[in-house]
Amino acid sequence: MDEKNLVGRIYDIQGFSVQDGPGIRTTAFLKGCPLRCPWCHSPESQAFYPQLSWVSMRCQGTALCESRCIKACAKGAIEPAEQREDAKTGEMLQMIHVKRDICDNCGDCARVCYPKALYLCGEDYTVEKLAQRLLQDKKFYARSGGGVTISGGEALSQADFTVAILKRMKAEGIHTALDTTGFAPWETLARTLPWTDLYLYDLKHMDSEKHKQVIGVPNETILDNARKLAAAGKKLQVRIPVIPMFNNDVENIRATAQFCRELGEAVTVVQLLPYHNLGVAKYLRISDKPVAEATPPSDAQMQKLKAVMEEAGLNVTIH
Amino acid sequence: MYQLKPMTLRVQRIRQKYRTTKPRIDINRYRLVTEFYMQNPQLTGILKRAKNLRNLFENMPVLINEDEVIVGWQGTSYRCCALYPETSFNWFMKELRADNIRERSVDPYDIDPEDEKYLLETGDFWSKNSMSAITDEYIPRYYRDKLDGNGSVCFSAHDNCESPVGHFVANFWTATQKGFGAIREEALAKLQKLEEEGIYGDSIYKYNFYRAVDIVCEGIIHWSERYAAEALRQAEACADPERKKELLEMADCLNWIMKNPCRNFHDAVQCIYLYQLALCMDGQLHGISYGRVDQYLGRYYDQDIANGTITPEYAQELMDLFYLKVAECNKIWSEGATKSGPGYTSGQLMTLGGVDRDGNDATNAVTYMMLQASGRLVLHDPPQALRIHEGTPDELWEAAIETTKIAGGVPTFESDKVIIKALMKRGIPLEDARNYCLNGCVEPSVGGYEWAQPGGTGTESYLNIANAFLMAINNGYAFTGGEARQFGPATGFLYDMQSMDEVLAAVKTAFDFFCKWQCSCINAWESMSAFHNPLPLLSATLEGCMENGKDCQAGGAKYNSTGNSCIGLGNVADSLNIIDYCCFREKLCTTRELYDALMHNWEGYEELRQKINGIVPRYGNGNAEADKYVDFTASTYANAINSATGPRGNHFAAGCYPVTANVLFGYMTWATPDGRKSGEPLTDGISNVQGMDKNGPVSFLNSVLNFDQSLYGNGTLCNMKFHPTALKGADGLMKLRSIMETYFEEGGMELQLNIVSSDTLRDAQKHPENYKDLVVRVAGFSAYFVEVFKGCQDDLIRRTEMNL
Repeated sequence: MDEKNLVGRIYDIQGFSVQDGPGIRTTAFLKGCPLRCPWCHSPESQAFYPQLSWVSMRCQGTALCESRCIKACAKGAIEPAEQREDAKTGEMLQMIHVKRDICDNCGDCARVCYPKALYLCGEDYTVEKLAQRLLQDKKFYARSGGGVTISGGEALSQADFTVAILKRMKAEGIHTALDTTGFAPWETLARTLPWTDLYLYDLKHMDSEKHKQVIGVPNETILDNARKLAAAGKKLQVRIPVIPMFNNDVENIRATAQFCRELGEAVTVVQLLPYHNLGVAKYLRISDKPVAEATPPSDAQMQKLKAVMEEAGLNVTIH
Repeated sequence: MYQLKPMTLRVQRIRQKYRTTKPRIDINRYRLVTEFYMQNPQLTGILKRAKNLRNLFENMPVLINEDEVIVGWQGTSYRCCALYPETSFNWFMKELRADNIRERSVDPYDIDPEDEKYLLETGDFWSKNSMSAITDEYIPRYYRDKLDGNGSVCFSAHDNCESPVGHFVANFWTATQKGFGAIREEALAKLQKLEEEGIYGDSIYKYNFYRAVDIVCEGIIHWSERYAAEALRQAEACADPERKKELLEMADCLNWIMKNPCRNFHDAVQCIYLYQLALCMDGQLHGISYGRVDQYLGRYYDQDIANGTITPEYAQELMDLFYLKVAECNKIWSEGATKSGPGYTSGQLMTLGGVDRDGNDATNAVTYMMLQASGRLVLHDPPQALRIHEGTPDELWEAAIETTKIAGGVPTFESDKVIIKALMKRGIPLEDARNYCLNGCVEPSVGGYEWAQPGGTGTESYLNIANAFLMAINNGYAFTGGEARQFGPATGFLYDMQSMDEVLAAVKTAFDFFCKWQCSCINAWESMSAFHNPLPLLSATLEGCMENGKDCQAGGAKYNSTGNSCIGLGNVADSLNIIDYCCFREKLCTTRELYDALMHNWEGYEELRQKINGIVPRYGNGNAEADKYVDFTASTYANAINSATGPRGNHFAAGCYPVTANVLFGYMTWATPDGRKSGEPLTDGISNVQGMDKNGPVSFLNSVLNFDQSLYGNGTLCNMKFHPTALKGADGLMKLRSIMETYFEEGGMELQLNIVSSDTLRDAQKHPENYKDLVVRVAGFSAYFVEVFKGCQDDLIRRTEMNL
């Protein structure tokens, strides 16, 4: 198939994306991930299929739209629910509820919800369509040392598309970054080597048993891939989500630092990303299931972990 | 890492006084001007203005407050405002009689009951003797009879030009380096020569002009000497030897400056402040700008430091004291006009940075001192505009971004590249164009060399293009919801239009028509203002005037233009795209349905309105298709304005900077196709419809770059609001800088930033007592958030917050 017409599934494109690599970047987030991190702050990135999302703040109440969504749903999956006070007018607005056990994500309701309170998360893009969008911002990349980041979900789960878009961006002379969990066969990851300037590489836990227990997969592939990237002369920006009760103990951080040291020159910087609970609201957009919530680590604790990593001679930032 | 240096105790004391003193009305100027005008009906033209000003120089009280070193004031109490009845006074009398001055919702003022009595007794004199009354008589016939109340051009049958904004910049290089003694000598020599040769032909006009210059130069020197005498008087009575010494130094400075070239940094600061204050006292205060302050002062600072006659600390203190004096300046406007510029702002814009006449970086020590003053004093006034070019030092970038975080939106960021190009397009040679400064809000001009009249007549210089557009699709009738009157050309009704070409042709016809009347009415005002309200004290330094023997308003300056500004660019651009998208391309509705929806102010058409707000691609998202009509709208307006000419043989210059008139004009604009309901604010500056940019700052700027800003010789204004996390750390700073650099490189003219979250602003609305010093960028100026009116606060909150 012509690479230009390869299709990938995207759940978000973010311009002025300043946390995903150096400079001003535009990041394409690919939908679907083989991991299930309980702290994931983009729960909509996990499933591979398009998902109906509902944002209460955008809903203008069923009175104004005459319950268009409820009428549009042939399965009867939408029902009136509690009321919400409009921040501007103080008026009470009638909200809705999506019965997740009935909803099949067909998107009929989203098509008639013009304020996009209901929307189908996940849109198919051809390589060329995505390329055109990313190229729009090209003039802002160069001066800041920025570029394009392909992120997920797990972009390597849509490997053909990911390779094609990275290749397309390289052909335009744009700096490329791949944000990955590292959980993919080496053969797949290796395909990105010629087209990727920087890997944003997650390391979550050095103990494979614990890794598997919490995330669902062991860590050997991930660690092994990191070593191979380093051996291939690639640059890595290591990202460690600091999750209370999981990986925030000094021992694990020290072990991670040791691992990074072993990768040598490849690691340009280690980013410690303190857990935050801002993602919790996002779960409610796509599901009714209760979400585990933890207390974010304190600044003092982050500083301590940073110091541990710095002891190992690493360049560390906290985001 | 950028740091604010500590303030001295007396600077802190004055700042405290500034923030806790409610402005009050002072009638000294009013009384002197009123008596002078009543007693001298035989005096007209330039001599009347010159003698009126000399009368003020001779008789205004001279006030030197405790702690002050930089002095000069236009009343007898701290933070008082003078009145300018010779401009317009009906609005004031109306508000005074309605007892509205003390308690009004925007910028209330205290007033002494005795003064109030005097005003009530004498104020009506001005109803037939003000510039406003004179202008009313000269409004062109057709306009007066057929276009009053059209809603696009703001001139009306009466009470025009209530608040002309000064918007000029004197030549402070001449004031500081030459002095008014030498200028006066020059005028006297010209007079003598003409008297010897015979005052033949049109040299009589030159003769009259030089007479006026002689009078005002003598006046300002005398005024300065009166301040010197007051300083001496206080010195003699002063027990504190430190202060006594200081007062003696002040007396020496005040006796010297104005007559002679400045000798040092203190002289120069005092000279530019006092000259500017004199111009304000003569004119209308508002919007009279300072120009390139760092360029005037830099040489004196360097020289004093090299001589060891000043310390950096004391120089900074002088700068702080100077800034506090400028901040103290304010002027009461009508309640309506105040809504377009609330927060006791006086708009005495200062310019810093940029390149010099040869194209080299002009940054100097004073550039940094100016940012220090704004930052550590947390002042919204004076506003500052930082000129950016390829060689702007990293250190200056950092200082400026840190300052804009503290003093919301001070400074603004201006692109040398685009502005110099825009000025050259209106005929200014490269070297002079490089010496530009910003006036009022964002209006570029060659300070000291140009009579740019960018603010024109004030409110009337804003053209409501949203209403012009509505009339274009309604056969020239104004949309009001009630009985309709036909003002514009019969361009047809939207429901009869068969294609976008027809719609665009109608819009162009309407824009051309209203721009024609806009410029014609401004010319009518200028013809009267040039005769009745010349500015000899400004013309004394303005390049070209002395040489040509002509007042600036008569065309004496080296360069001339007349500024204008449109409001509603984003509304019209989006409305056109929506007509195209909904009626012609995607057939979401017919032109009839859209027309009816507008006529009904969207009532009964909510589904269509939601579609327009929800699924139609909108301006502001970097979507080239949605942005298709912004270039058409921007260039149709700009070309019509730029091709108009004024009585000085000058061209008009298009601009797009609404102050907060977008809120005010919104009240007077019927529903528009972009989903906006009647009465809601119009768009801010060159931005999209509020809240419609959903793709972040890069996409937003990509959209804005879709029209040629170099057609806007009178400036464009682009507000961006960033969440504070956007600037976290050195990295955030670099990224913000590079986004601005790219915008400027690609054709963007100006950017101003608010780095504050909407949550903070909402909280400040609820608990103003906790946010007394929160400065925010409003439009072409900044203000203390808690001091602007609610509608404007809401507009600030509605602006999209660029999040990370």
